[in-house]
Amino acid sequence: MEPAFQPSESAIQRQALSDPDVRLMLEVRDGSAVAFEELVLRYQNRLITVLEHLVGNRDLAEDLAQEVFLRAYRARATYVPGAKFSTWLFTIANNVASSALRSKIRRAEINIQSDGTGPMSVRPLDVMIQASTGQMPARRLDKAETRDIVQLALATLNERQRMAVLLNKFEEMSYADIAEAMQMSPKAVKSLLSRARINLREILEPYLDHGTAPRNADS
Amino acid sequence: MSNGTLPTPSNAESLDERLVAYLDNELSDDERRSVDEFLASNDAARDRLRTLMRTWEMLGDLNRQPVDDSFLRSTLEMVVVEARDEAEKTQAAAVVRRRRRWALGTFALAAVAAAGYWATVVFWPDPNRQLLEDLPVLESLDEYRNAGDIEFLRLLEKEGLFDGGQHPIGEAKP
Repeated sequence: MEPAFQPSESAIQRQALSDPDVRLMLEVRDGSAVAFEELVLRYQNRLITVLEHLVGNRDLAEDLAQEVFLRAYRARATYVPGAKFSTWLFTIANNVASSALRSKIRRAEINIQSDGTGPMSVRPLDVMIQASTGQMPARRLDKAETRDIVQLALATLNERQRMAVLLNKFEEMSYADIAEAMQMSPKAVKSLLSRARINLREILEPYLDHGTAPRNADS
Repeated sequence: MSNGTLPTPSNAESLDERLVAYLDNELSDDERRSVDEFLASNDAARDRLRTLMRTWEMLGDLNRQPVDDSFLRSTLEMVVVEARDEAEKTQAAAVVRRRRRWALGTFALAAVAAAGYWATVVFWPDPNRQLLEDLPVLESLDEYRNAGDIEFLRLLEKEGLFDGGQHPIGEAKP
């Protein structure tokens, strides 16, 4: 979480001036509770959106977001601004989410392709295909259905691809920032995002072309 | 469909990688120009790019439900608890440190006192010790005075007259 090198004092000041969130975090380091509250307000929706689509469960995403904020608070004393604050925070988020996804217990909770009874669960692709092709083959997908299909397509990506896509799409992070947040090289991120977007295209293209679900999942 | 050629990418996968980087604005000016030229002359590549763009835009339909106020409240409560725990731990650590300092101070004081006592015993001249060493001479002082001459007494000592426990004349004194 900490930067690999200690930037000079002038570099720290420049970074702080260019990123207001860094300045807030430095205030948190100096003991300001108000600054911490402001940071939570600024990042809570962004963090939960990414985590929700990463783990596929809203409640778990909120728990993980709280863990991320708590870790950021614990790290305040040793915080040294070496990158954009958002990159630093999403590095913590990536570590927290990876741990949660690795956990066997958590894995059972977040299985987005389970029985579909959870609040954020999506219907299996087969069921959706049946619904859209069996009864009204020519109808266009409505907004909610499109959202579910996109969610399902996202769920087919592996964890790293999903994280890279979410940081790229929702946080508009550059490859360099994603690389830092995910502890990868920018070249690896480029390749990861490329494969992810090709996978998404292969799954979503039939919906785009015909406005209906494809006849099978591989089409 | 016309078929332009893209200089570097030699297969579909690397073409896609370049198209994705093109969409993400992650190419250098030269790379971007070469992709522009390739796209201008290749219908299939343009279709590929268009599909990548459209599927990417579909991700915008994903749920982005804002969090309610309880999240901020509960997060701050967690942090308050954390801060209190930290303060308690810091306080407890300070007590331990203070006790350790006291213990170390007491030990150091005792060590200094012991060293001082030892140094005093070893190095401080003891008048009683001198008296004890001179005791045999003192006990026979009257007799030695009767001899009158210290050199005469030394001569007697040298000849072994005082053997049998008597202290040598004059050697007791420092």
